[in-house]
Amino acid sequence: MASLSLKHIYKVYPNGTKAVNDFNMEIADKEFIVFVGPSGCGKSTMLRMIAGLEDISAGELSIGDVVVNDVEPKDRDIAMVFQNYALYPHMTVYENIAFGLRVRKMSNEEIHERVVQASEILGIKEYLDKKPKEMSGGQRQRVSLGRAIVRDPKVMLLDEPLSNLDAKLRTQMRAEILKLHAKLNTTFIYVTHDQVEAMTMGTRIVVMKSGFVQQIDTPKNLYRYPKNKFVAGFIGTPQMNFFEGTLKKSGEKVEVAFKYTDARMTLPYEYLRKARPKYFDGNSEVYIGIRAEDISLAPNVVAASPYKVKMIVSHVEDLGDESLVYGDINMNGDGYSESSTRIIVKTTLSHTYRPGDVCEVAFNVKKMHYFDKETEETIVPRIPDINEVECEVQDGTLEFCETSIKLPPALSIGNGSGTVLIPSDCIMFHGTIPAQIVDCEQVGDRYLVSVELKGRRLYAVSSEEKVPEPCLIGFDLKKITLSVGNEIVQPLEEMVRLDGRFEKKKETTECDVNGKLKKKKSINFYLNVCETLFPAPEHISQKLFSALSPREVFSSLFTFEFSPYDIEFTQEGIEGDVVSFCEYGTERFARVRIGENIVNVFTDKPVSGKVYLSPRFDRAGVVEAARGIKLV
Amino acid sequence: MMEAIKTGKQKKYRSKKRVERVSNAVGYTILVIISIIWVIPYIYLILQSFRGEPGAYTSYLIPKEFTFDNYIELFTDTSLFNFPRWYLNTFITAVVVCIIQTIVVLATSYALSRLRFRGRKGLMNLLLVLGMFPGFMSMTAVYFVLKEIGLTQSLVGLILVYVASSAMQYYICKGFFDTIPKSIDEAAKIDGASRHTIFFKVILPLSKPIIVYTILQAFLMPWGEYMFSSLLMLGDQEMFNVANGLRQMLQRENIAEYFTRFCAGAVLVSIPIAALFIWLQKYYVEGVTGGAVKG
Repeated sequence: MASLSLKHIYKVYPNGTKAVNDFNMEIADKEFIVFVGPSGCGKSTMLRMIAGLEDISAGELSIGDVVVNDVEPKDRDIAMVFQNYALYPHMTVYENIAFGLRVRKMSNEEIHERVVQASEILGIKEYLDKKPKEMSGGQRQRVSLGRAIVRDPKVMLLDEPLSNLDAKLRTQMRAEILKLHAKLNTTFIYVTHDQVEAMTMGTRIVVMKSGFVQQIDTPKNLYRYPKNKFVAGFIGTPQMNFFEGTLKKSGEKVEVAFKYTDARMTLPYEYLRKARPKYFDGNSEVYIGIRAEDISLAPNVVAASPYKVKMIVSHVEDLGDESLVYGDINMNGDGYSESSTRIIVKTTLSHTYRPGDVCEVAFNVKKMHYFDKETEETIVPRIPDINEVECEVQDGTLEFCETSIKLPPALSIGNGSGTVLIPSDCIMFHGTIPAQIVDCEQVGDRYLVSVELKGRRLYAVSSEEKVPEPCLIGFDLKKITLSVGNEIVQPLEEMVRLDGRFEKKKETTECDVNGKLKKKKSINFYLNVCETLFPAPEHISQKLFSALSPREVFSSLFTFEFSPYDIEFTQEGIEGDVVSFCEYGTERFARVRIGENIVNVFTDKPVSGKVYLSPRFDRAGVVEAARGIKLV
Repeated sequence: MMEAIKTGKQKKYRSKKRVERVSNAVGYTILVIISIIWVIPYIYLILQSFRGEPGAYTSYLIPKEFTFDNYIELFTDTSLFNFPRWYLNTFITAVVVCIIQTIVVLATSYALSRLRFRGRKGLMNLLLVLGMFPGFMSMTAVYFVLKEIGLTQSLVGLILVYVASSAMQYYICKGFFDTIPKSIDEAAKIDGASRHTIFFKVILPLSKPIIVYTILQAFLMPWGEYMFSSLLMLGDQEMFNVANGLRQMLQRENIAEYFTRFCAGAVLVSIPIAALFIWLQKYYVEGVTGGAVKG
């Protein structure tokens, strides 16, 4: 039993193909994690990296407290079940299960005890003397599971173990694997391309596409709150209906206009409150998603609902107790091809629908999803990143929601009206501005707090639960974006990025050997950041050499990332010129020109003119510039 | 179709059984003829080895007088031709070469099939291309090298020559290893097995047919080899192998007296190979990997 920590994991093949991109996840002990995604999304590669069958190109993988990047598979204390069983065909079932224990030189008595116990759990005791070829697919997969559980591993890895079984056996084995998980009480990581398997088995699911993690969440949250169109379409059967359309806000109502058809519906703004105002101009196109089960054909529901559209039926798939009615909301559409007007409705009605029938369907608008047309990300996220608020600036004072804030010099901007973008994580629950907490919703390990500021709803993030009550709030002004007329003041960059290289130098040092001074040659590693050499810290050298070949380490260009707080003004270091200051009231950042770049460095001392900077490399991030791989 | 039945113009098909019978008859006739052509020299050789009448050639196939003397004299009359010594030389060479070559071929093939290292493909291609050149092209050079280190007229030199190119035989064996799913190696790796445990306990037991093939190939080559051994031994009859030695019996001055003895020697030469094949053929079965992975 163990937890796993996956930090910035990459898999890059020699030809440059990135199979896994910046995979980050913390897996708790005893969790049942499912990696799901279409073929080629990198899920199996990720699992094989955890198993140690594939090298990790960059990043850090820990099992328990131990970093296992360079640990052999046998020493990781993991077990793996393969899609094709991978049994030893020349051995009996008993020997197959016992092989791992024999290799570990366990006593015959203990091996026998464990093999019998595992075979009893899996119901294969009577097959112990048989060879794999004498067994059916389901029995072979049980042997494969037996081989895995007999070693009592910390982590069980299962690579599409049920893909080769028929539908009935798959359902049965699914239940058995769940039973096994409950019984063994160990961490399971399961790879599948079947979203039904993922939804029914995982405590958390990782949805992947093209090497990128799309969303990590519980099955229910994935279904209810998909982060993007891909997740929305991948999870759920039949696939979610997607229409193209526009949103236009007027007062507390939003009119949804469907593209390629006359269909319209007017919804309360309440359901779209988290969306940014730019989507409500009536021109910005969005994808409107709704699941087949959230659309009703029932006459009484349709009659009572104000949210309905007409559809023309194209064909029906009868599934026994329910039917899938396919159609089109464009009366000229065919309902077969996956178009922006095709609609699928799940119904349990016994009514027979014929091709060409025109009927009205009612949408459950509470369960509608909206996605940006270009990024395909949801426009109503569970935790909105940004609050977009209209504002006015008058003589250095920012006014929004009937609240005035004296702008610090760093945010000085001309007079006029515009917008202020307030990230949800910059609203602090200590300050001087009176507000009212109206709601608090738990999202993962954080809380989304709805705060009302003079009638305007703002979303804030908190690590603690809040109760609805009056409160005093403040804003971290370093993070806000202010736009008035043509002027825009950007937030303070969170990271200082400096380019550099990794270098080695042959050096001669003098050392005292038996009273005689002797010259000793050594090779030392340095980081050349902006033409200034710093001794390379051990952990950076190690990670670069483990991720890249020596030739690549010395020839690649790296970007070093520091927090503005992790750079100090010193007597020697990277040479720069202080060009100005960003004053945020209590904090002050010097804008230092280094070559052609200008970086912000925190300072609480007076500095001016030519300065020297020394970054703290112990907290630095290192990115290989050419491929954008975060190595440290 | 209905139209055809109505009008009685149904297409007539040839009987499938009849077609099969005719094609089988033709096939078997050709095979029997080929077999007879192939077997006659062996029958001739065996019959001649039991011939009692002297002389090189006879105008008849079946001897008038049968005798075992030819076999007995091979081992007893060693004054001119020391057949037992040749036989021993050949046996020692073949066994040693067989053992070394089998190990080298299996190890090379496994490494080329399973390990991924820089220059792997280049090495495979190089070995393949080098293997296309006949060995005798390098005979003179090899002879001078061995002469320099004093290994001519010795079995060690001959063994060295035979095993030197072993790794070039990797191709068929690697092809077999490639058919064993890599997931079996990976499963064993996760079970805690080291590379050599995987090789000896998992891969080799699954590779019996190809091991048998490799052993037979490794044994056959030195057993019947003539060119290198005759060059290396340079007329030292004591160091000859059977192929080289038996060739001496067919010299113009010896053939009349020794032809039947030559035939007896040739029959004896084929016995170990036949025995080896009969012993190993039980392992020469396919389907060993059945049930390992989803078929």
